[in-house]
Amino acid sequence: MVISMLDPFVLRAILGIFFASLSVPISVIMLLRGSLFITPEISHAALGGAALGVLMETFFPGLGDPFPLVLIFCVATSIFVCRMGKGEQQSLGMMLSVSLAVSVTLYAVIRTYLPIDKRMVVDGYLIGDLLLLSDTTVLSLAAASSVATLATIIFYREFLYICFDMETAEALGLKVGLYDSLLFAISAITVAVVARAIGVLLSVTLLIIPAATSRLLTKNVSRMLVASFFISILSGFAGIALSLGYNIPTGGAVALVFILFFLITYFMGRIHHSRRLDGFLP
Amino acid sequence: MSGSIISVRNASVRLNDHTVLEDISFDLERPSILMVVGPNGSGKTTLLKLLLGILKPFKGTVEVLGLNPFEDGKKLRRLVGYVPQKDKISYETPLKVGEVVLMGTLLKKAFPRSISKEDIEAARKALAYMGMENLWRSFFNELSGGQQRRTLIARALASDPALLLLDEVFASLDFESQGNLLSLLRIFKENRKTVVIVEHELDPIIDLADKILVLNRKVCAYGDPWDVLSEERLKPVYPCLRSLEKEGRRILILGDKHA
Ligand SMILES: Nc1ncnc2c1ncn2[C@@H]1O[C@H](COP(=O)(O)OP(=O)(O)O)[C@@H](O)[C@H]1O
Ligand SMILES: [Mg+2]
Repeated sequence: MVISMLDPFVLRAILGIFFASLSVPISVIMLLRGSLFITPEISHAALGGAALGVLMETFFPGLGDPFPLVLIFCVATSIFVCRMGKGEQQSLGMMLSVSLAVSVTLYAVIRTYLPIDKRMVVDGYLIGDLLLLSDTTVLSLAAASSVATLATIIFYREFLYICFDMETAEALGLKVGLYDSLLFAISAITVAVVARAIGVLLSVTLLIIPAATSRLLTKNVSRMLVASFFISILSGFAGIALSLGYNIPTGGAVALVFILFFLITYFMGRIHHSRRLDGFLP
Repeated sequence: MSGSIISVRNASVRLNDHTVLEDISFDLERPSILMVVGPNGSGKTTLLKLLLGILKPFKGTVEVLGLNPFEDGKKLRRLVGYVPQKDKISYETPLKVGEVVLMGTLLKKAFPRSISKEDIEAARKALAYMGMENLWRSFFNELSGGQQRRTLIARALASDPALLLLDEVFASLDFESQGNLLSLLRIFKENRKTVVIVEHELDPIIDLADKILVLNRKVCAYGDPWDVLSEERLKPVYPCLRSLEKEGRRILILGDKHA
């Protein structure tokens, strides 16, 4: 079977990965902030949003894609978690669990009442298929990820200050609460985009691995941001190619490449490291 | 307006239903060096945040440099240099030394916070003053503890503050840097600027302080060093206090335990 790059399905899949990758760099900042671990959990909020969106669409036909509601759910959960996290880790963890429970319950309950075709829309958020993205979806991914990228670039310095030394940033007048919430909100946009592109179950690969790998590759933060984008897009393309070549589901193929990429970088780094040490030993 | 540099009246601060500072009152009339001492958890950092307007007292009033920190916070913060306690910094974020020093200046600018030539010059000068000019491009989190402290002091100096707040800076400095910082504080004093130094040990700057505030949730003592530093007044705050006398000199060894 020969599939052209210009086949509309493949093209949309490529665009989907492109826009998902474009939104990924904020994860690097979340990693430095020590908060990246919450993003896979936030992704579950996407399920609640999708279920509610689809349900509303059955009552008010013409509302269209549930993506806007997915975005709202993710952003709201993320800001909520950010605000709660001011106290102790424990209350943060508890609040995270509660809001996830709400979303997942919404998903599970609503799903059973939906007709089969609507169910598929909701389930698309659980296990996404890049090859099934619609034109409107690709457009909304483009819009959301552009916002995320722009905001990351514009507020880059403020975010770094918060990561590095929140105390002094606040002492010198930075509205740290506001910028911190903004950081979490942008990160949630990425979560929604990634959940739409490859599904909640596999979203953890795109949310964590490019950021974690980029940190292994460079010490320079702006280079990390750029690296995370390229890691993400290269692994994504390789994943799509793998999926088309061997007829594996795209989400799984993409995730597989990501994991491979991380492992290779990790072990290369270890080898490099140990060799460097060797040089110093007598 | 009281005409004082710092004026705190009956201020109490509560954090999570916990009264961390109670009925604090003191006046720093002239530009001078104020040393705040107290055991761990006595509210020293909280007092600095109160002066900066980050924390609001639920009772009482605060005035710093003739400004109300809660109403003129923006104005006040432009005039302030701040060096936080060591454990407040994240060593995960790989900023370069130059970027760290510029942070002090840029945060005082309005949003786009564009870097001017003068900013860089001032930052380099401050760094050079702390003896670190050749480390501009090094990563902050790869420096030694003492170098990191000096970078943070340079950051506070770069914006030429009228009021310098130092939170437990001396403890982690090596002997030479302590000397440098002392001479810096002397220059500050000559230039009629104000420094508030928080430490949990008295030793290093005792000669330089104009006023001493002994804090343990409340003000235990406040005044000129030689009045405050008597065993009777410190004993309640530092139960492990010992005093050594030799050849006419007396040292107080505080020992750091909660009262
Ligand atoms: N955010 C907070 N919430 C509740 N209690 C706090 C908070 N920050 C500090 N405290 C408490 O306030 C007291 C004083 O803290 P702090 O000002 O940091 O003391 P110091 O700087 O003298 O060591 C401590 O007992 C600390 O546990
Ligand atoms: Mg403290």
